[in-house]
Amino acid sequence: MTIKILNTLITVVVGVGAAVILYWVLNKIAELLPGRWEDRIKPFLYILPAYAALLFYLVYPAIQTFVFSFANATSTEWVGWDNYTSLLQSENFQDTLFNTLLWMIVVPVVVVALGLAMAVLADRLKPRWERMSKTIIFLPMAISAVGAGVVWGLIYNYRPEGREQIGLQNAIVTALGFDPVAWLQVTTLHINSFFLMMILMWAQVGFSMVLLSAAVKSVPEDTLEAARIDGADERSIFFRVVVPQIWGSVLTVYVTTLIGVMKIFDIVYVMTNGGFNTNVVGNEFFNQLFSNFNNGAAAAIVVMLMIATIPIMWYQVRNFRREELMA
Amino acid sequence: MRLTAKRRRAALAATAAALALTTTGCLGSSDDGGSGGSSGGGDDGEVEILATTDPLVFDGLKKKIEEEAEAAGINVNMQRVDNINQLILTRIQAGDPPDIAVIPQPGVIKQIVDRGEGVELTDDIVPADAIADMTPGTLEAGQIDGTQYGLMISMNVKSLVFNNKQAWDKAGYETPETLDDLAALTEQIKSDGGTPWCFGIESGTATGWPATDWFEDLIMRYGGADVYNQWITNEVKFDSDVVRQAADFFETNVLADDSVPGGRGSIASVAFGDAEDTMWDDDPGCWMLKQGNFIVSADFMPQDVVDNVDERVGVFGFPPAEAGGENPVMGGGDLATLLEDNEDSRAIMKILADVDLGTEAAPSSSFISPHTEFDTSLYPSETTRQIADVAYQADPFLFDGSDQMPGEVGAGSFWKEMTAWISEQQDLDTTLTKIDDSWPSS
Repeated sequence: MTIKILNTLITVVVGVGAAVILYWVLNKIAELLPGRWEDRIKPFLYILPAYAALLFYLVYPAIQTFVFSFANATSTEWVGWDNYTSLLQSENFQDTLFNTLLWMIVVPVVVVALGLAMAVLADRLKPRWERMSKTIIFLPMAISAVGAGVVWGLIYNYRPEGREQIGLQNAIVTALGFDPVAWLQVTTLHINSFFLMMILMWAQVGFSMVLLSAAVKSVPEDTLEAARIDGADERSIFFRVVVPQIWGSVLTVYVTTLIGVMKIFDIVYVMTNGGFNTNVVGNEFFNQLFSNFNNGAAAAIVVMLMIATIPIMWYQVRNFRREELMA
Repeated sequence: MRLTAKRRRAALAATAAALALTTTGCLGSSDDGGSGGSSGGGDDGEVEILATTDPLVFDGLKKKIEEEAEAAGINVNMQRVDNINQLILTRIQAGDPPDIAVIPQPGVIKQIVDRGEGVELTDDIVPADAIADMTPGTLEAGQIDGTQYGLMISMNVKSLVFNNKQAWDKAGYETPETLDDLAALTEQIKSDGGTPWCFGIESGTATGWPATDWFEDLIMRYGGADVYNQWITNEVKFDSDVVRQAADFFETNVLADDSVPGGRGSIASVAFGDAEDTMWDDDPGCWMLKQGNFIVSADFMPQDVVDNVDERVGVFGFPPAEAGGENPVMGGGDLATLLEDNEDSRAIMKILADVDLGTEAAPSSSFISPHTEFDTSLYPSETTRQIADVAYQADPFLFDGSDQMPGEVGAGSFWKEMTAWISEQQDLDTTLTKIDDSWPSS
């Protein structure tokens, strides 16, 4: 333990020292240049480490992954498109894709809608109550996904009929005189997938609420007053005056949640590990890599996921730039 | 002025980024330095052993090995790790394997051999007379294509059926001698108004594995050892008569109405460790639990049952297909593999092969020696002696099949498709075909 602490301390000291020395050296190099050139070159020298880091830790692995997706399980032989075709032809992977699509459709919309509703409603409360209700809704954000899995595992817990039910939902159901239900096994209409989505929504609504609440508060009061004077009712004020003005924030929350959902892994892994037809792409990737040791299939999944994320990222960056210009 | 402020901010941001980078980079390497130690093989008078056995078993083995090694003037650095499968392959790739690795999965040993590592355990490393008393089948478990690479040093047994001894004796049920007897007993318990089987396969991300144990035990009984071994390599398909025969027995006896508490639909949601909770009641909620010897532990059973294990727990071997015929027993074990061939590590292998290796571990843990001549009086309870006896009667002892299948199947589709079948999401045909299809092509 002491050795570990010492190790950490040394690492921090050496790391900081190295960074300082690096920049000092880069600075010196720049100062060697004649006057005008110093100013021109210096910014590039300063940004160089950050770009190098991006290159090594993001671009290089991405390319490597792309290359590996055309190789076999141990990355020793080329197999062409085999990884892609066998994945896309397998019934299980098709189900996995469909489930992921369900997550992408349902979760971001619900998270934004609920977050917005709570932001607006909380806005009407007295400051003390507003703070309190917001804190409570925000709390789940502080719990890790695995922790949330444990909490919700107790809510969905199932025991055979006749034994004491320790699961909240089954305790309610049996108290009402029905038979206990194995919630996570109910595949009809993908209900079990929705039970898993509940967990993520529960954790994410707070985040959405906080961002949207800030946006709602920044809506200028005079626009609302003007609308009221014009005789608009509360509903049209909300949809025609407030929402258009916070649309940028709504989109940001939506896109952030969407990207998070596409990569969802931990909740599914902890609750069902993809069993009972609840598998999603992130979990399938993990299993291909760490239980099947199949580098090829895992890389192919990542590449597909990457390709699917790129348009959203591109849209988001463009949106972000436009907003920055406006601000 | 404005320029410098901007510059300073940029520099600050860049420093922060670089800092984050250098520190994360260093953390990775310093961690390696910490765990790697200085014992990277070689004839340096120190032997590094990595193992992943149960902590109590590990402590006992470590104590004994250190004693013996000290007497031989060898320094032993024995460590217990959790993820030995990945760790061992990573260290081999890095050119820094431990001298000896104790691995619970033959599949991993095969991967080691495929990478050109591992030392064949010839007679001069492991003397023939030291392993002459090994339970039949335990040596074969460490062989890759007929060559001995792994030596079993501790074993566990899965072909066991536990019951509530007091209730069992009171009801007057007899130990079944054949599978037909077992089926008849299942019916008898039902007609007496009881629920014959305690069964749950929920195990978090590994949900489904207890069902695979059932199939392995049934397949080795219906097909014999040869067919079982062919089934493990998919020469005999899942979609085959012997697997269907196993499925049929399983379905008739365990999945049928009133066979388990809560019925078939509850199996996939009941944790394997909770399945027998109601077995210990005076009027047992279920009567029989087929599970490995590891289940006899306060982690899974009520404390007062474990404290009075000999009075409370009854156990018998999962019966053979025919009385007097082949009597295969399924289980697992820890296999010692030699990765760095030198005088010291060879000396340690001799210690590991010795019949007395487990004298420290046996009294205080679930350790079962693969040596039939091991002093059974050292086992902590009569129940453990009975369990060991089931193993020693094995003809032959066969290694857990799902542990030998490729990960896609043994730790993937076999679990998942069984779970889907048991919870009635798909029929048996689909299940068997899907498992066959998931077999990796290479």
